[in-house]
Amino acid sequence: MATIALPDSHADHHYTATGQTHTKIAIWAFIGSECFFFASLISTYLIYKGRSVSGPCPHTVCRGLHPILNIPVTSASTFVLLMSSLSMVLAHSAVVRGDRKYSRIWLATTALLGTTFLGFQAYEFTSFVHEGLKITTNLFGSTFFTLTGFHGAHVTAGVLWLVTMLFVDMKRGLGPRDAINVDVMALYWHFVDVIWVAIFTLVYLIQ
Amino acid sequence: MATTVAAPPSRAATHRYEKGIWSWLTTTDHKKIGQLYLYTSLTWFLVGGIEALIIRTQLFGPNGRLVSADTYNQLFTMHGTTMIFMAIMPLSAAFFNFLIPLQIGARDVAFPRLNAFSYWIFLCGSLFINASWLIHKAPDAGWFSYAPLSTRTFNPGLNMDFWVIGIQILGVSTLAAGFNFITTIINMRAPGMHFMRMPVFTWAAFVTQFQIILAFPILTVAVVFLLFDRFFGTQFYEPAAGADPLLWQHLFWLFGHPEVYILILPAFGLVSEVLPTFSRKPLFGYPVMVYSLILIAFLGFGVWAHHMFAVGMGPIADSVFSVTTMLIAIPTGVKIFNWLGTMWGGSLRFTTAMLFAIGLVCLFTIGGISGVMHASPPADLQQTDSYFVVAHFHYVLFGGSMMGLFAGVYYYFPKVTGRIMNETLGKWHFWLMFIGMNLTFFPMHFAGLDGMPRRIWSYDANQGWTNDNHVSTIGAYILFVGMLIFVYNMWRSRRSGTRVGNNPWDAPTVEWSTPSPPPPYNYAKIPQITSRYPMWTREGPHSISAAYPVGAPAEAPEPTAEELHIPMPTPTLKPLLASLALTLAFIGLIWHKQVPIIILGLALFAVVLLSWVLTPLEPEH
Amino acid sequence: MTVSHHPRQPLRIAVTLVLALALVACSGYPNTTIGAHSDVGREIDSLTYLLLILGGIVFVFVEGLLVYILIKFRERPGDTMPAQTHGNTTLEVTWTMVPAVILAIIAVPSVRTIFRTQAKAVPNALQVDVIGHQWWWEFRYPQYKVVTANELYLPVGRTVNFSLRTADVIHSFWIPQMSGKRDVVHQDRPNYMWFTPESSFVWNGACAEYCGASHSNMRFRVFTVPPAQFATWITHQQQGPVFPAPAAASADTSKGAAPAAPAAAAVAAAPADTATGTWPRDKLPTWTVPETPLPTDVTVAASSGDATRGAQLFKTGACIGCHTIQGVSPGIIGPNLTHVGSRTTIAAGLYPNDMRHLMMWIKDARAMKPGSIMPPMGKGLPEAMGTFTDQQIADIAAYISSLK
Repeated sequence: MATIALPDSHADHHYTATGQTHTKIAIWAFIGSECFFFASLISTYLIYKGRSVSGPCPHTVCRGLHPILNIPVTSASTFVLLMSSLSMVLAHSAVVRGDRKYSRIWLATTALLGTTFLGFQAYEFTSFVHEGLKITTNLFGSTFFTLTGFHGAHVTAGVLWLVTMLFVDMKRGLGPRDAINVDVMALYWHFVDVIWVAIFTLVYLIQ
Repeated sequence: MATTVAAPPSRAATHRYEKGIWSWLTTTDHKKIGQLYLYTSLTWFLVGGIEALIIRTQLFGPNGRLVSADTYNQLFTMHGTTMIFMAIMPLSAAFFNFLIPLQIGARDVAFPRLNAFSYWIFLCGSLFINASWLIHKAPDAGWFSYAPLSTRTFNPGLNMDFWVIGIQILGVSTLAAGFNFITTIINMRAPGMHFMRMPVFTWAAFVTQFQIILAFPILTVAVVFLLFDRFFGTQFYEPAAGADPLLWQHLFWLFGHPEVYILILPAFGLVSEVLPTFSRKPLFGYPVMVYSLILIAFLGFGVWAHHMFAVGMGPIADSVFSVTTMLIAIPTGVKIFNWLGTMWGGSLRFTTAMLFAIGLVCLFTIGGISGVMHASPPADLQQTDSYFVVAHFHYVLFGGSMMGLFAGVYYYFPKVTGRIMNETLGKWHFWLMFIGMNLTFFPMHFAGLDGMPRRIWSYDANQGWTNDNHVSTIGAYILFVGMLIFVYNMWRSRRSGTRVGNNPWDAPTVEWSTPSPPPPYNYAKIPQITSRYPMWTREGPHSISAAYPVGAPAEAPEPTAEELHIPMPTPTLKPLLASLALTLAFIGLIWHKQVPIIILGLALFAVVLLSWVLTPLEPEH
Repeated sequence: MTVSHHPRQPLRIAVTLVLALALVACSGYPNTTIGAHSDVGREIDSLTYLLLILGGIVFVFVEGLLVYILIKFRERPGDTMPAQTHGNTTLEVTWTMVPAVILAIIAVPSVRTIFRTQAKAVPNALQVDVIGHQWWWEFRYPQYKVVTANELYLPVGRTVNFSLRTADVIHSFWIPQMSGKRDVVHQDRPNYMWFTPESSFVWNGACAEYCGASHSNMRFRVFTVPPAQFATWITHQQQGPVFPAPAAASADTSKGAAPAAPAAAAVAAAPADTATGTWPRDKLPTWTVPETPLPTDVTVAASSGDATRGAQLFKTGACIGCHTIQGVSPGIIGPNLTHVGSRTTIAAGLYPNDMRHLMMWIKDARAMKPGSIMPPMGKGLPEAMGTFTDQQIADIAAYISSLK
């Protein structure tokens, strides 16, 4: 068996078989796993659709109760989240070219838009509760709040991640060498956005 | 056996983290983490074994009254949960941890601190769920916890609270490790280590990790639903609210079937390492062995409802799953034949490791045959939920997974510790285990076909089951004696076993080029791989007549990482602290939903996590 | 010679041999699934025989090959280095195709049997509604308006179509000697299962899906009887209770000239089953007579009771909240007791149906059967709902025993 002495142990220490960083590979594996997680939540929502025996329904008047979902408001929040993906792309491109001013602006914008989306969710959840739909009310409540709640938790984690990135940027500045990590974070953010598109379509739009 | 070679002089530990218990608490070294998994999982295996012994003693004769029905139901639930989640899986993880970097020519895994976290959160989760025994409220709805029996309506006590939370904690461990090993195998293979040159164990581990990261999220969701129902009053499994009791079963078995392949494939991988070495010829049909691993993992997601043939899914669903289940028997059977082909024409040396590997080939075949019998739904309507299926899964899990894992222990013990295990004691262990296992589980085929349902606390006289149960119980005690011998052998060999050099078995794969045990950095220079069997020549191993162990232990100490300018990760307590913080949050949940404790735990977790991600892995160089 | 016809003749011989063995073995294995006694059971059997034979062949071949290899290729002194074979494509193809063929031989009859046995039952089938409870079985015959528990009577030669539901958790309905099992899963949507019993005997049934504390105590009996006897049984079950109902009850619907209740413990002299259609006690095979040990901490200091006093105690006690005795009490939480006296066991196949066991059951059902929701009725017991003295319990038991 031949052994090769790579130029120095430092270089051989950063060698990777694919040329990608570990975090890049790992985030894709993570996203694959999360697809199955959300697929299970969404499937359960769809299986239980229309099978509640009490309480309000999503789109129709049932048991004398108003339909719960508010499509216009949720469309607005969806738009906000989609725009945050755009600002995320702009943030990444600013980091790649070493533009410190705009990297901060766009990262902060993404975090802000994400937080706005969460604000919409909080508003929506509390108004549903006031209208008589809690997580315990019926199958619709249980599946709806669990699915959107876990999505919201993922958005929250993303916002915390963004804030951490901003904090690092304040401390030592993000430069082109951080592009990989921002890239990985952007992948996560876009994934969370795509999941929302699926949820918005299957839960809100399709009746 | 006294050592006759002087031990290499040990270099003084230069860092306070490098010696004693502190070195174990702060380690990020995959080899140490592998050992932590090894000893912890073997301990839980013994605990699960004692649970089994009590069960078997209770079932020795008709109308046993050794334990109450309530205790019995806790025992069989914990026996299954312990053996699957706290014995077999972490024992496989011990091998993933120890072997994968060495087998691919790497220095460690991709995320060493995450790796340590996987272990500590596993330890916390396993202690959490077993803490239920202290208040005699261990989980009691069976290891697969069917709703609605497991809901708060029918199971109001703390028992199932321990289960739902414990399973989630254990799931975190397994998932984190899955991402780690996938990244490691894809990204850290040494130059020349193409995928089709990887050792089969690494292939088996790789395929298993994909199953893990795709199947465990489904379990997470199923258990989240049950946890939410129990703690927050949701309606996922409440029939009164219109819920379907079968939702749990579908979600669980969508996880559960890939899970059984997660349990067996690593053992298959170990057998594929052991058989060639002791047959002195390469693995027969390497590409087919790799493709069959991939096919099994893929098809494994398409057979789940064969656990549900009795629930009334209808003839079309029954037929589809019957056919897919039979299909998956093909790549599995192909592996058995390739192992036979490996041994054919070889020069077989029956070390303990080899005996256990052959044991898997022999016993898994039996389990596979009974598995195919289950694949026919009309016949399965007699077999399922009887002792026949108990026989089947013990043949594949004990006769399959455990035999393969023991083969791995005896085979790799010298690499891990630098000493080999005693062969005489090993053979006693093997034969007692082989005989005990067959005595315990073969009669269960008959008991099942004779109408004995499973999970029953006691059975009446004159039912035709008494003799089978007598034999099974005797077999279980024989098994236990074999395990005691094994534990003694491990303890004794660690202290005074014969020391060995790099490659005591004259084995072919690259991990055997390192010293035994390897230095912290594994390879002084990352190897360049040029073949599937780097340690063998084209003509095979170097000699077939030399007695084991081959070669001699090194006399000079290896250079340190500093001397070689190899940056090493800084030992850190953060993975352990993060695990404790997360566990604290879960304790807050089970302890009457104490929100302050939950928030404290989560906050501590966030703080430790933040500190962790903002700290570089290695000191700046 | 096509594959599907090739194994037919040796298969018939093998089946006969195995059947003979099974019949011989049957006497010691009363719950065996081999050699079943219904049409569906026999279809399952022929699949099982096929599986056992093919499995046996594979077992002998593979293990035999393994043993051969271990002996022939074990290391010997003077061995030369083995040829470093890496594989053989022909072998790979062969040992992929041959198992595939064997599996096809299994798959085809399996799928056929699935569709045959899961087709809708014949229109004139006997309908039996099975409702699984924790931990007993409720049986209803909707065509005859009969409700009973834990003992099922079926006419030989007539297809019975079971509609299977649960009242709580998932259970599984299994009569090993008759047919495969079917889970009871839903409270509203039944599962269906049918078979046609082919011989007259008494069979053990059990719950086969873990359902909680007394899962192993959720047993039942099946009596397959000649159609005439079944008709007698049905007619008898349709009648009200044999013991004349006390005057204060609601409209007494019991019919028939039931004699006055005899003195308590005399169940031993088995009545001719011409009156009730039930299986005579003295003709029960050993394996259908439970030998469940009694809990040591339950004693009843009385040995005989007065059924008339017992009837009064029953009518005014908590019993009526859970149990139905036709014309006497309307409770539906526990088993229907209208004809409980003619059942061979109590507590879902757990104890023989006699005074001693009945008295202990009434006194402390939870000690007799873990998890039972029937509260102890004996005086002074924790969680007791009744405060019956031992003599009062004996009286109630005498009344219960008389309800044949």
